[in-house]
Amino acid sequence: MSAFIRDLLELEFLQNAFLAGILCSIASGVVGTYVVLKRITYIAAAISHCILGGLGAARYFSVVYDLPWLRPVYGAIVTALASALLIGFISLRAREREDTVISALWAVGMAVGVLFIFKTPGYNEDLMSYLFGNILMVSREDLYLIAGLDLLVVGLSVSFYYQTVAVCFDEEFARTRGVAVEFYYLLLLCLTALTVVLTVSVVGIIMVIALLSLPVAIASRFFDSVWKIMIAATLLGMTFTLSGLALSYSPNLPSGALTIVIAGAAYFLTLAWSTFSRPTLAKSAAANTDS
Amino acid sequence: MKIDSSAPVVRFSEVNFAYEDGITVLENINFSLEPGEFACVVGPNGGGKTTLLKLILGLLKPVSGSISVLGQPPGRAQAQIGYVPQFSKFDAGFPVNVLDVVLMGCLRRSFFWGRYSDEQVEKARRALAAVGLQGKDGRAFAGLSGGQKQRALIARALVSEPRLILLDEPTASVDVAGTEQFYNMFEELNQRFTILMVSHDVGFISSRVKSVLCVRKTLQIHPVSELTGEALQNIYGVDVSVIRHDHRCSDKGHICPHS
Repeated sequence: MSAFIRDLLELEFLQNAFLAGILCSIASGVVGTYVVLKRITYIAAAISHCILGGLGAARYFSVVYDLPWLRPVYGAIVTALASALLIGFISLRAREREDTVISALWAVGMAVGVLFIFKTPGYNEDLMSYLFGNILMVSREDLYLIAGLDLLVVGLSVSFYYQTVAVCFDEEFARTRGVAVEFYYLLLLCLTALTVVLTVSVVGIIMVIALLSLPVAIASRFFDSVWKIMIAATLLGMTFTLSGLALSYSPNLPSGALTIVIAGAAYFLTLAWSTFSRPTLAKSAAANTDS
Repeated sequence: MKIDSSAPVVRFSEVNFAYEDGITVLENINFSLEPGEFACVVGPNGGGKTTLLKLILGLLKPVSGSISVLGQPPGRAQAQIGYVPQFSKFDAGFPVNVLDVVLMGCLRRSFFWGRYSDEQVEKARRALAAVGLQGKDGRAFAGLSGGQKQRALIARALVSEPRLILLDEPTASVDVAGTEQFYNMFEELNQRFTILMVSHDVGFISSRVKSVLCVRKTLQIHPVSELTGEALQNIYGVDVSVIRHDHRCSDKGHICPHS
């Protein structure tokens, strides 16, 4: 731990990792709250797996055609937004078999990514860091991207707070009030897509969904309004990613995996604690009589 | 019920509706709802009751026929309709307080970047008082009982000062004593609003409402006296036990299915 603090003051890659943990937690706390409340964790997971296709393709073309400006994250952003819009239109238009289409995108996106990575000349260590994340590889440019996303997410959430909450609570009623439900739904999916792309650098494709949902799941046991949950989930996300980073540093463990284990342990502890030690919402509702 | 009227709140003429899979849900529906009416739509599950409400709201479009709501096409009249869905379809733990739920009724298409005004908050408090939830505005919606949640959703519909209130099975999860209180409240609200509600407890509601519309794919006008066990059996398609309360239907009769 003391080695971590000493190196944090000196090594730039560690400072970048530290800042990435803080900045990613802002976007994932806010967007994760919407994802959990709107019950679209499955869609968020599909988008996160889909982006392997974009990462792999961008890296392949960058190496094979010598395009140094084409960074894998750009491929990921394009793929994530495209799959979010595709899933959004499918779930708005077609009422049935939505989950089948989402599963297909999920798997096909990954398969395309694996093929591109396989055909890319050179050493293929990147596959592991895409799947499981490597917060120590975050660059200055990545930090600017993540900070820009934070501004976008927080700005839009503050501007459209009441509409987005109404859409999550009761889409049909919001529509009868003239709220542009489709617009907010697609906006939400696009923000989810961007958040997923940038959070992948911290915990990887496979575990990103845990970082979106676990802090919110814990926060929603203690707070009863959406904005409070967003703030609490952000703070919890920071705690998990930074403790994951710090505790994994000296023993040289993968920090993404350790972050998720810490978040999961915290979640199950909260679950156990709130089940045994205090009345839950359900119990207090049952004790409530009609007036 | 008359088909011709000077200014009906809702008018259906020769309306047909089918979902995309081709199954006809409503066939040749004709009726009109006069201002000040308190009408109840009854019929079996899957008979088209909720579809009828969604057509009035403009959330669904008829395959053929015409619908006018407050003299306008259904989608245009949405702002003047207060829609009350069933509370049971909501996420029971959604983190929102009662006042914020009611204020959702104030949302508008043009409500960009907006915050609620003091006037809207005041209206929301009055709407809560009108449904018997005064003083509960800061409470968590998730912590309310079923009946209280349903009242909060009614307040959310009242806050936009609608001309028509649509209620989808408002007493579905309320016990008998609670149901009685609900009908007292509806009678009071009916002095200010036209009310159309969907229900399947026929015997009970018909003692309070002014007219009854029976929907099972089709509608046909029957005189009041035919709302007997046999007529209900035709509506529901199975044996139903009827507990007759003091029956009072509108002098225009009521509408029953042709089955």
